[in-house]
Amino acid sequence: MTTATGESALQENGILGKPLDSREDPQLLRGEATYVGDIDLPGTAHMAILGSPVAHAKILSIETKAAEQLPGVLKVATAADFTDVMPLPCIWIPGGVESHFPPHPYGLPGARPVLTGDTVRHVGDPIAVVVAETPRQAAAALAAIAVEYEPLPVVTRADEALAEGAPQLHEAVPGNLNAYWTCGDKDRTDAAIAEAEVTVELDLVNQRTINSPIEPRGAVGDYNAATGEYTLYASTQGPHNHRFLLSALVLGIPFNKLRVIAPTVGGSFGTKGYLYPDMALVLLLSKALGRPVKWVDTRTGLMNSTVQGRDHRQHVVLAGTRDGRITAVRCTSYANLGAYPSTIGPGVATALMGRSISGMYDIDAAFCEVYAAFTNTVSLGAQRGSGRAEAAFLMERLVDRYASEIGMDPAVVRRKNLVPTEKFPYDNGLGWTYDSGNYQLNFDRAIELSGYADMPARKAEARTRGKRLGVGIATYVAICGVGPSTRMSKEGMLGGTWESANVRVHPTGEVTVTVGSASTGQSHGTVFAQVAADELGIDPAQVQVYEGDTLKAPYGQGTYGSRSYSMAAPAVALTARKIKAKLVKAGAVFLGIPEDKVVYEGGKVFEEGNAENTKTFAELAMAMWYGWGLPPEIEPALDETTHFDPPDFNYPFGTHVAVVEVDELTGETEVVAYTAVDDAGNIGNPKVVLGQIEGSIVHGLGQALMEAAEYDENGLLVSADLNHYALPRATDAPFFSLDKTCTPSPHNPLGAKGAGEIATVPPAAAVVNAVVDALSDLGVTHIDMPLTPEKVWRRLRGEAQ
Amino acid sequence: MNGRPEQFSAQPNELLVERLRDGLGLTGTKVGCDTGQCGTCVVQLDGRSVKSCLILTASAAGSEVATIEGVTTAGGELTGLQEALRQEHGTQCGFCTPGMVMALGELVDSTAGGEAPTEPEIREWLTGNLCRCTGYHSVVRGVQRACAAARAEAPAGSAAAGQEA
Ligand code: FES
Ligand code: FES
Repeated sequence: MTTATGESALQENGILGKPLDSREDPQLLRGEATYVGDIDLPGTAHMAILGSPVAHAKILSIETKAAEQLPGVLKVATAADFTDVMPLPCIWIPGGVESHFPPHPYGLPGARPVLTGDTVRHVGDPIAVVVAETPRQAAAALAAIAVEYEPLPVVTRADEALAEGAPQLHEAVPGNLNAYWTCGDKDRTDAAIAEAEVTVELDLVNQRTINSPIEPRGAVGDYNAATGEYTLYASTQGPHNHRFLLSALVLGIPFNKLRVIAPTVGGSFGTKGYLYPDMALVLLLSKALGRPVKWVDTRTGLMNSTVQGRDHRQHVVLAGTRDGRITAVRCTSYANLGAYPSTIGPGVATALMGRSISGMYDIDAAFCEVYAAFTNTVSLGAQRGSGRAEAAFLMERLVDRYASEIGMDPAVVRRKNLVPTEKFPYDNGLGWTYDSGNYQLNFDRAIELSGYADMPARKAEARTRGKRLGVGIATYVAICGVGPSTRMSKEGMLGGTWESANVRVHPTGEVTVTVGSASTGQSHGTVFAQVAADELGIDPAQVQVYEGDTLKAPYGQGTYGSRSYSMAAPAVALTARKIKAKLVKAGAVFLGIPEDKVVYEGGKVFEEGNAENTKTFAELAMAMWYGWGLPPEIEPALDETTHFDPPDFNYPFGTHVAVVEVDELTGETEVVAYTAVDDAGNIGNPKVVLGQIEGSIVHGLGQALMEAAEYDENGLLVSADLNHYALPRATDAPFFSLDKTCTPSPHNPLGAKGAGEIATVPPAAAVVNAVVDALSDLGVTHIDMPLTPEKVWRRLRGEAQ
Repeated sequence: MNGRPEQFSAQPNELLVERLRDGLGLTGTKVGCDTGQCGTCVVQLDGRSVKSCLILTASAAGSEVATIEGVTTAGGELTGLQEALRQEHGTQCGFCTPGMVMALGELVDSTAGGEAPTEPEIREWLTGNLCRCTGYHSVVRGVQRACAAARAEAPAGSAAAGQEA
């Protein structure tokens, strides 16, 4: 299981590992799936949220009378209406990070109120809500609310927020410093850097980006006065988690009176796992008005309120020998948490990034320190590849810088420093212990597939066309499979991070699998059916999968950090094994033979050496349903649950190679070839994973080339719609050359590693490395993302960064 | 509307997408942005794909409007394009999908009897539709597959069949 062969260890004749068509697709293709915006409960009223138009100000007064009198308006509410509602909690407080906010009854720190009453801290900070008969009436009424502000000075950069005399965001947080967090060995790293033959340094900006799922968020609250129960429909990637946080911790209502339903969710990439004020507001207002209350965000609303990603300013240093051996890496980072700590933002900005910085390399000394600061911007959160992409970016930029400093091929330097296969499990000295890997195999495959050896010739050829061709390599290790609950508690996570599954066999032999995770486009219905069918030896068409409704599904933490296949799928497999074990016991009774003679294979039990004496899965299902003749130690029916808490994380990895052409005249960068070899262990459905890999790479290219959340000096998000925030379009990428290696993880029974977002981790580094390579003869050693044509054009003309 | 007459009076500032979703309950058409950039709201107006968030309902009076609901055959069978997208897994979260199907339908239809579009042409056609999940690759492959299938089905001796050989 732990030895890498480069090939999948899954059985040839199994169903797992096969590229089955996604069973979710037909209804999506017919436009028949129900997203939250499509939900239309009888009597629904519509909510709109008034966000602050200024980034930092005291609220002197709010006048709502005029709005209340407008046609169709049912209610206008401000913070004063919700004084008994607790603030939305932050549940990832990494070690060393202090909680500066008022405590919750359950020991959690509060973060942001559902509505802001006294001081607004970013554009879009919610101040008031209107509920009206129609969405248009609600939106129109926002304009009639008069708010008087006393402007306060604004700061939008983490490093500036920490400077002497900077504007202060929270009274309880002196100097805006939420956290000073470190990992690794500072003394050893400093010493290694001081003694090194060669050191290279870079100042990097990992710009703030916006995840931009194509479906904006939405929520419908439905309070049932007869039963006292609340139902929340929300575009969430963690319905159970949101139920847990909202019921007891925010609304103060019993856990068993809140049901959260995630309908079809139109993409998330991290951002829909966070707790937002609207989720609480639709529930509170539904109760107040006795009607369902619905809210659907606009694109601009999303950009001004849904968590944003990345946003580090870093000084990074790498030390090594003249012959290409890396001896130390050090990172000092200023992370921008935004105006409030989001549900898990502080952990993303610190542990996820810091512990990952050494990537695939065997480095003796490493150290990372993060200053996480509050600023007048939207709260920081996860974004596809979060933390790990930031880490890969700094490391891979450094390795190229180092290679050029010592005059060595960047591929040769990388190859020389990869963690050797015999060193697994490998302690990276920063807090992660990599489970398994064959980095050399993976790296060599990518270099070969990319045609790396031909690049000099291709560069010369491109020059004849007025193009500068550049090649950039980036490798990565992505921590996935979050995770072991105890381990995460040491990381500061205030909650369990296990995953569960229930498998129920019906009397007719059909099977229902319910899982605690919730898909945001990952074809869970297909893949989890494959897992159960593979284990039970039955046709996947017999298996139906349900998730996303907390009333029906077993507990789970949701889909994030590429964890569903390595967390929920093992729970399904283990549960199916419980069913199988029970059928072996019962089979002994039904076949009239001792248990050790019972064989379960191909969806049947039969007598060893006598295949005639057999019962099919369907026969067994019916017999267990009747329960006739079962001894007292075997309960009737087949219905099992598993809560899977793995011994440790898993660590997928990979190597990407970008080839770009920079136009000498326009500065435009075109990605002309892209090779990716990723290793996600054993893969359940290659077709589904292929789609995720392709989408992830394009997402990463977006950060490299065009995406940026730009705030002006007043804290206004100037890129607050899709005219001003560029997302990659179909013309922005060529087809990719993709391959995989397979090193199963020993930390779950499927040998799976995370896959969904891992390919977002290296593209930004690969592309920037490629463009810097293309411009290296001009003395260019770094360009900050996004690599817009103008920026590159200026560098082509010798202008400074 | 999808082959059926619909009669109603609309406010002068009402957007076609509002009428479709809120007025007529045709929620297959999605809204992904406020600025006409994302293409999730694409429908066909007299056979041409348009962004229904940029069109006033009143201006569509007298036109034929086709939405994703009208694309589905009575038996719920997938069209050639939908089937090709299914086989290539051209849809993940599916939010961009109805708009893509409506936009690409025009492309596939218009090329079925002649030259198949090249990859750059398909990508160019797709620039009005944003997808954050797939990176477009599987969608492009889906269109290629759909065009190939459409051409293969074209009557023998036609220009398309000749080129195939
Ligand atoms: S909703 Fe985005 S283009 Fe129409
Ligand atoms: S499939 Fe999710 S946006 Fe396209």
